[in-house]
Amino acid sequence: MKALVVDDSAVMRKVMIGALARAGIEDVAQAADGQEAVAACNADEFNLVLLDWNMPNMLGIDALKAIRANGKKVPVIMVTTEAEKSRVIEALKAGANNYVIKPFDPAAIVTKIQETLAKAS
Amino acid sequence: MKTEWINPFVESVYSLCSTMLSCGVERGQLGLAKGQTAAGGDITALIGLSGMARGMVALSFPAGTARAMVGRLLSIGEEEIDESVSDGVAELVNIVAGSAKAKFSNGNGSDIISLGLPTVIHGGSQIIGCPSHSTWLDVPFSSDLGPFSLRITFELEPTKGGN
Repeated sequence: MKALVVDDSAVMRKVMIGALARAGIEDVAQAADGQEAVAACNADEFNLVLLDWNMPNMLGIDALKAIRANGKKVPVIMVTTEAEKSRVIEALKAGANNYVIKPFDPAAIVTKIQETLAKAS
Repeated sequence: MKTEWINPFVESVYSLCSTMLSCGVERGQLGLAKGQTAAGGDITALIGLSGMARGMVALSFPAGTARAMVGRLLSIGEEEIDESVSDGVAELVNIVAGSAKAKFSNGNGSDIISLGLPTVIHGGSQIIGCPSHSTWLDVPFSSDLGPFSLRITFELEPTKGGN
């Protein structure tokens, strides 16, 4: 099981790597913006992507659209401060499998990860 | 600036503390300042607001509070924290401002407020410069992880759709 964590904040990437470890996923790659995320998904196969929205170079939502346009069906969880309902709908329409709003309960994101993987299997 | 505009930011601080930081927090009495202000805490994380609102949000921490909060965020001991303190407090102000931003939404999916990239200042005597007519709202907090303060200055611009 391999995951990709995408966030421009190194601290947030560590937080999400910790959540993935609690969900039983230790093999984790990292990307610091949307462009890196798209490149990583083209170069490697992942079982899960945790994707921030607001990042330099390429937004997470645009990275999600690019990943889907490239035919990748990897489950994607948006992890973002973008809490507006319209944003959630936009992400789900673009192919996000789940949505976590920052700030989040550390236990809740583990549950979301497990739920998303269970639905995808 | 209307004092009630600070409420979404205060709510975001409470939400941050009760979720990702798992700590109790209480706000103190609102203070006001004009124009330039000293950073105050040992470490201050700032984020600029633009779009229909223009201004700044700052979280200022004594060094001990910053280390304790970043340690809690990362679930690591304070002795393990290195350069991640700056990155961590930057993320804290990003979460507080980002979470509050959604509460100023106009409901049609477009942002009233856009956020810049966080900046971190070390040293409490540093001056944060803003236009002289700016009013800073200053909310001190006490928490299980130590004291800190939230400062905000911004104006909604009617010509850009604010009110």
